Amino acid sequence: MEQQTFYYDNKIVRMFGGATILWGIVGVLVGLTIATQLAFPDANFSLPWLTFGRLRPLHTNAIIFAFVGNGIFTAAYYSMQRLLKTRMYSDLLGRFHFWGWQLIIVAAAITLPLGFSEAKEYAELEWPIDIAVVIVWIAFGWNMLGTIAIRRTRHIYVAIWFFISTFITIAVLYLVNNLSLPVSLWKSYSVYAGVQDGLVQWWYGHNAVAFFLTTPMLGLMYYFLPKAANRPVYSYKLSIIHFWALIFLYIWAGPHHLLYQALPGWAQSMGVVFSVMLLMPSWGGMVNGLLTLRGAWDRVRDSAVLKFFVVGVTAYGMSTFEGPLLSIKSVNAISHFTDWTIAHVHIGGMGWNGFMIFGMIYWLWPRIFDTKLKSEKLANAHFWIGTLGIIFYAVPLYWAAITQALMWKEFTPEGFLAYPNFMETVTQILPMYYLRIVGGSLYIIGFLMFIYNIIATARSGKLIANEEASAPALEKMSKKRQAGETPHRWVERRWVPFTIWAFIAIIIGSIIEIVPMLMVKSNVPTISSVTPYTPLELAGRDIYVREGCYTCHSQQIRPFRSETERYGEYSKAGEFVYDHPYQWGSRRMGPDLAREGVKGGKIYKSNAWHYNHMLRPQDVNPESVMPPYPWLISDDLDMDIIPAKIRAMQSLGVPYPDGYDQKAINEASIQAKALAADLANNNIKVEYNKEIIAMIAYLQRLGVDITKGKTASR
Amino acid sequence: MATEEKYDQETINSKLMIDHDYDGIKELDNPPPPWLMLIFYGTIIWSVFYLFYYHVFDGPTQEDEYNTEMAEAKANMPKNVFDENNIVLLSDAASLAEGEKLFASKACDACHGATNIGPNLTDEYWIHGNKVGEVFKVIKYGVAEKGMTPFKGQMTDKQIQQVTSYILVKMKGAATANTKGPQGDKYE
Repeated sequence: MEQQTFYYDNKIVRMFGGATILWGIVGVLVGLTIATQLAFPDANFSLPWLTFGRLRPLHTNAIIFAFVGNGIFTAAYYSMQRLLKTRMYSDLLGRFHFWGWQLIIVAAAITLPLGFSEAKEYAELEWPIDIAVVIVWIAFGWNMLGTIAIRRTRHIYVAIWFFISTFITIAVLYLVNNLSLPVSLWKSYSVYAGVQDGLVQWWYGHNAVAFFLTTPMLGLMYYFLPKAANRPVYSYKLSIIHFWALIFLYIWAGPHHLLYQALPGWAQSMGVVFSVMLLMPSWGGMVNGLLTLRGAWDRVRDSAVLKFFVVGVTAYGMSTFEGPLLSIKSVNAISHFTDWTIAHVHIGGMGWNGFMIFGMIYWLWPRIFDTKLKSEKLANAHFWIGTLGIIFYAVPLYWAAITQALMWKEFTPEGFLAYPNFMETVTQILPMYYLRIVGGSLYIIGFLMFIYNIIATARSGKLIANEEASAPALEKMSKKRQAGETPHRWVERRWVPFTIWAFIAIIIGSIIEIVPMLMVKSNVPTISSVTPYTPLELAGRDIYVREGCYTCHSQQIRPFRSETERYGEYSKAGEFVYDHPYQWGSRRMGPDLAREGVKGGKIYKSNAWHYNHMLRPQDVNPESVMPPYPWLISDDLDMDIIPAKIRAMQSLGVPYPDGYDQKAINEASIQAKALAADLANNNIKVEYNKEIIAMIAYLQRLGVDITKGKTASR
Repeated sequence: MATEEKYDQETINSKLMIDHDYDGIKELDNPPPPWLMLIFYGTIIWSVFYLFYYHVFDGPTQEDEYNTEMAEAKANMPKNVFDENNIVLLSDAASLAEGEKLFASKACDACHGATNIGPNLTDEYWIHGNKVGEVFKVIKYGVAEKGMTPFKGQMTDKQIQQVTSYILVKMKGAATANTKGPQGDKYE
């Protein structure tokens, strides 16, 4: 066999690793900022771009796509070269991938605070950036599959199975969920509406967790954990079973984000059962990781890297136990819309994603810089303070979640809500929010120690940009299955069929859930009194979307007595058919707004109330934690774009009459003037062409149509 | 230590997968832990039962569950002893103090206070009348078109009676310089 010499590209590993660290610290600092804003609303400083609703998407996107994204690329670029015994397929594609990804992050960091948002969680980026993401993602996949194609090893290792599934599934998810119709350079409407948009969104959102935060992390684990522990992987068979079960089952679980909501029962049940079935395939990863450490536990005591891996993998086990638990409808009835979800994702984000990435970088940095870690002691200190940070972050939030959920649901013996004022339930949990800030700060202190240690380590060595390695060339082998070769072993040496099988595994659940939801009419029963928004309301809705109101306010009343007593009649799928995008939300920092506009309803407020509330919420509600929105009052509404918006909505099937776009500005002005006149009657002087007018018009429309139907049928 | 290493060496040697070597990473031929597979099959069986129960044998839908919950609540609701037609004004100090507390805790002053969003309650001008039954009715059922919240789901009739009494007895003449001007008709 001819021995070939080649060079691993460590420079690209350093680039992605450096970006991981940079965006990681940015992401957690934004997180600390918004955690502070929740406890102290004045920390929004009345600046549009510094307001919670705009920064929250920045935090989630930065952690997911910038921190973890660069982290998994670091893992993939380092491990694949070594597992496949070759340099990456193309240096140029790698550089394109790197710089493209960083540019996307910068674009996100600029556009999200400016309010350019599609308002779908973790898919907020507007359409030009979406296109860039798709192009760069394809460059990554091309480079990865190309590397696999030129490998010098016969079989593909389990870490790479996970990377392959990541690439194909994220490509499918991102493309389908982000389909939107542009109105202008920075504004587009989701092609789906209401419950259909919700289902597609959570098919995406949940599987972004699955295939961006989980499968590539398992790939990372399967390479770096056995390497760092110098132990064999516990069970090859378990790898096979949990890999296929995981990717096949995960894709179905999305509807568990919409339990007890206006989603057809069959889809909710799919979300429940597939989440429950996911428990053991998820734990397969944890078990295989922890059992790989058999016989190496004495080394865990001394090695910071192994400590990070152990807690990271354990956090994975915890959050994948909690996931199925929260997907059981009776548990979800309590947990949904509370901080339980937030605590849950932070066990995953800080524990699993964060700690696995820290462990990986502590391990590989000295190796590519041909030196020793600057301070093992400091890394150990980072581990302890980081662990403490996670505990101080999560435990108060679990406490807050249970407290608030019980307060929402408590009735007095007379049959009234025990806490009819929503703010009481927020004030009650504010102490927990102070503790959360402490937890987050501890985590950040650890992060800073990590940065120092890594920079000092790099300084003490010199990057081996091209690391020499050698391996025999791969001999040709028949594509046919050999005697004694198991079917799986056979497919492990043929990457094209492997990729196709993985694609089939993830597409089955996708098609079975989404296609009927889009095609079968009975899934969204029509309500005849539901009509499209007026042009002014539509403009107001776009402001609601821009400001990220959905990050704190839901528009979805669940069929529980505690909700219908508080907010009014529960939400029906047919009410949202013109909502591009849907705005059901996932957390209630403030009350639900689905019936905000219903006069005589449970939470109706006058125009004057809304005006004062937007100007300074604390004036009408002293305990409110909502930020003030003074710019809505000073800024002019962009009327000129309204016709284009109407036309876009028409293309999406919203039944405005032909030629309505030409009348839209006039109609908007008439409605706005009437609203301004009503405010004037209440001694509020505001011009009709201000954004606040459109915003109030939208809020006063929320949930109204269904009541009109009732009056008519009576 | 020595025995531990020996034990490891034995397990590794006996179960190592031949020809599995990826950049030095080896794999063992262990079966998946039986408990893990057992629970996995258990969740699959549970799922089949779950789907059959709800979608073949027509278990309760979320709407059914809601209707049951509401029916139970209705059956347990205490009966009202008076309404707007036979309510009387209270004047004892304890009731008025209770009324004052409710006025604050139900955030009445968010609109009928310094913000002046709603009409003032301190002068002789009333939009919907100043009889005890009329004020009671406004608080209980709200005034939809004006944005007045109906409080019937938040206070008992007794409590609404206390707030009504507090407003009519104690707030009269309590205007400040900032108070909104008169609205409605004058009542003596």
